[in-house]
Amino acid sequence: MSHDTIIATEGLNLWYGDTRALADVSIQVPDRKVTALIGPSGCGKSTLIRCFNRMNDILPGCRIEGKVIFHGENIYDNGADPVSLRRRIGMVFQKPNPFPKSIYENVAYGPRIHGIRDRRILDSIVEESLRRAALWDEVRDRLSRSATSLSGGQQQRLCIARTLAVEPEVILMDEPCSALDPIATAKVEGLIDELKKQYCVIIVTHNMQQAARVSDYTGFMYLGRLIEFGGTTQIFESPRDELTENYITGRFG
Amino acid sequence: MTLSPRRFAKPGRLIPAGTGETVIRVLLLSCAGLAVITIFFILAFLLRDGYPIFLETGTTDFLFGTEWNPTGYPVAQFGIIPLIAGTLCVTLGAMAIAVPLGISCAICIARLAPPAVRAVVKPAIELLAGIPSVVYGFFGLIVLTDWIRATFGVPSGESWLAGSIILGIMALPTIISVSEDAISCVPREFAEGSLALGATHWQTIARVIVPGALPGISAAVILGMGRAIGETMAVLMVTGNAAIIPSPLWNVLSPVRTLTGTLGIEMGEVAAGTMHYHALFGVAVVLLAITLVVNLAATTIIGRLREQYAPGKMLGRAVPGILRVPRLSPGVREWAQKVLLVAILSLIGLPFAGIAGYCGCAFLFSLAALSWRRVTPRTTQKIAFFLISAATAAVLLILAVILSDILVKGLPALSIEFLTEPPRDLGRSGGIFPAIVGTLYLVAGAIGLALPLGIGAAIYLSEYRTEGRLTKIVRTGTELLNGTPSIVFGLFGFAFLVLFLKFGVSLIAGQITLGLMILPTVIRTTEEALKGVPVSLREGSLALGATQWQTVSRVVIPPAVPGIVTGAILSIGRAAGETAPILFTAVVFSQRFLPDSPFSPVMALPYHLYILATNIPGAGANRYGTAVVLLLLVILFYAVAIGIRTHYQKNTHW
Ligand SMILES: Nc1ncnc2c1ncn2[C@@H]1O[C@H](COP(=O)(O)OP(=O)(O)OP(=O)(O)O)[C@@H](O)[C@H]1O
Ligand SMILES: [Mg+2]
Repeated sequence: MSHDTIIATEGLNLWYGDTRALADVSIQVPDRKVTALIGPSGCGKSTLIRCFNRMNDILPGCRIEGKVIFHGENIYDNGADPVSLRRRIGMVFQKPNPFPKSIYENVAYGPRIHGIRDRRILDSIVEESLRRAALWDEVRDRLSRSATSLSGGQQQRLCIARTLAVEPEVILMDEPCSALDPIATAKVEGLIDELKKQYCVIIVTHNMQQAARVSDYTGFMYLGRLIEFGGTTQIFESPRDELTENYITGRFG
Repeated sequence: MTLSPRRFAKPGRLIPAGTGETVIRVLLLSCAGLAVITIFFILAFLLRDGYPIFLETGTTDFLFGTEWNPTGYPVAQFGIIPLIAGTLCVTLGAMAIAVPLGISCAICIARLAPPAVRAVVKPAIELLAGIPSVVYGFFGLIVLTDWIRATFGVPSGESWLAGSIILGIMALPTIISVSEDAISCVPREFAEGSLALGATHWQTIARVIVPGALPGISAAVILGMGRAIGETMAVLMVTGNAAIIPSPLWNVLSPVRTLTGTLGIEMGEVAAGTMHYHALFGVAVVLLAITLVVNLAATTIIGRLREQYAPGKMLGRAVPGILRVPRLSPGVREWAQKVLLVAILSLIGLPFAGIAGYCGCAFLFSLAALSWRRVTPRTTQKIAFFLISAATAAVLLILAVILSDILVKGLPALSIEFLTEPPRDLGRSGGIFPAIVGTLYLVAGAIGLALPLGIGAAIYLSEYRTEGRLTKIVRTGTELLNGTPSIVFGLFGFAFLVLFLKFGVSLIAGQITLGLMILPTVIRTTEEALKGVPVSLREGSLALGATQWQTVSRVVIPPAVPGIVTGAILSIGRAAGETAPILFTAVVFSQRFLPDSPFSPVMALPYHLYILATNIPGAGANRYGTAVVLLLLVILFYAVAIGIRTHYQKNTHW
């Protein structure tokens, strides 16, 4: 691949109890690009993306084999610490999950836990993050209001702002637009385009057009396997695998 | 858009965060571990002091002997069949009263009452769960037994019947609130589906809603039964306590003596180390085994029903809230099954109590379903609704009578002098100041012990549960501890703290005993409050690079605080009202001065009331005064707790 790889998996297998959710997944995700993961429901997209920041660690009965290499280091090594990893690899969830705190406190939460106390610095981080998440103009007058009082789309952008506030290197997004209306979706997509200047973005989506619009690279998954991975144009216009083609053209069960 | 320079130091390698996390983890773990040690100690000390009787008298003669005469001369007899029979009879009767009334009342509150009525009646019923058992016993002794004596023309009203009525009333709040929860949780769509087919409201209730709520209703009945079996003070005060098997067996006016009553009466008078002493611990072991079996039955029934009504099989509905009833971990189940095998021999009669309960409730519905088949559904509905409303009215009336009797006769006895002076003339005159202070000391100590320990253990259980085996043991301990009758805690406190550690009858022994008693409640309510916080919030925090403890302390605990506080206040109320655990560990009847060290004994309100009611003739006004003070104190705690919970329930949305 012509770009620097920031995160890669080698022969990754994952079991939930006895069910194998990932089978021999090897993928190399390029830095400062948007990578989309597509595939039918239950194929393991969320599972894979959650391996990148070790969110599967907190699930009972989950077992992982293989390597995930981040900056040349296997994040599943015994000495590797998931906490400092997650600081560098942020995540936006499918369902907006703002903390039941004020809008300001939601964004300031990350910087605070990472040791920033100075109110002026916090203020500027909060403002900048909210601006970049295209939310600032809507909430600037009510930063102390509860985050749960925002609409679904606003909540999702708040969660994105919250992730930006800790300045990760990689941002994982698991179907970030599935709860949003077309306008909010357009805003988030515009945002993703902005983000890739500075971050590596990995996004799971069910929306083929969205994958085509926002991503530079696309991976197609099926039954826990990564079937095909390549440039988005290539995947959508001349897929090499029959499964991929069937899925993209909508001829799929 | 300008790209800002990165503000955080980014270590090149993924190095674990400092030792703080580990320290906290170990701290929480040791809280949880202490819970295990406690249960181990309770079991060990009961068995240690109980096993000689099994050796001496022989297991068969002890469990199946028909004569309980521990002070008999020349031969003392230690057969506990009369005691088991007494417990069975009283529980059976209590369930026969409480189950039909309670379930009718629950249906009424959940489905028939207008929202405004429901908003008042529901918390009122919960409040009644807080009335201390010694107050019920007091009412039973003064009013109920007298009524029975006059009505049936018997020399004494202290009887099986009186015990059953009082225990039935005491079990009502539990049965009502738990069943009501279950009924309210049946999804609205079920009822709508039935109504849309042209079924009447009553047909819908009887055939769709109640069957749907059955797991919760069963839990309610069994929990009520557990309360009845484990209750000491109220039973002891009204059953007459003759260790005889009622003859004929259905003679409800015969006095009986329960397992708990025996412990309550005889433990205070027995010399440590005698056969009698060991026999009493043997009784406690049997009692513990019985409650274990009851709890096990509850969790098994609920587990089975839960499978039947599993959301997957049931149109993919969300699990009703009530199905979150305590579940036995596999570890407990295995262990408990072994206990079950041993215990079942001595408990053959017990399931009948449960069956009777079900019969009572089946009665109501079969009546509706069978005998009125030829009547039109409309008429059936009218009759059914009338019966249900009547039952509800009866429940409210009973509770109103008890409360008004105590308030009307007790409030006039209150005065500044009564509240601020020590008792004189064996409590017939003077005040109850030392008792009030003693109770506050006891409660403060108990809560000071149980709160940090319980909350720590709960946080460990719900947030740090990756250790598998150890967590399982902790959970097992908590579950076992949770169903233990309060008198058993009293015995443990006596054997371990008073005798073994040589604390003597003292404030500190009482504080520790009460603290251990409320520990499971604190653990459970805290755990439930923490579980109520959505997983997605934890994930959100962890995904930002927060450590486990940062996540727990900043994201999980704050929204759980109302739930934790509610649990704590309920525990305070319970500790303030309990008599049995302090009976042999902490209290004396009369003391002019306040305790000067943790090792001196104290006075306490519930005990003071108990003695005034049973041992001091002519203490009329002061008895009622004491009852009112105790009642108001405990009700106050409960009211605050229920208020907090209702307030936050309304204002919580994720
Ligand atoms: N916590 C879990 N425990 C057990 N099995 C799980 C768990 N999470 C996911 N699975 C299983 O793993 C497989 C992959 O799930 P995953 O959530 O990764 O799919 P997905 O591709 O994200 O699907 P969707 O598009 O519907 O979100 C599924 O078969 C699912 O049932
Ligand atoms: Mg998914």
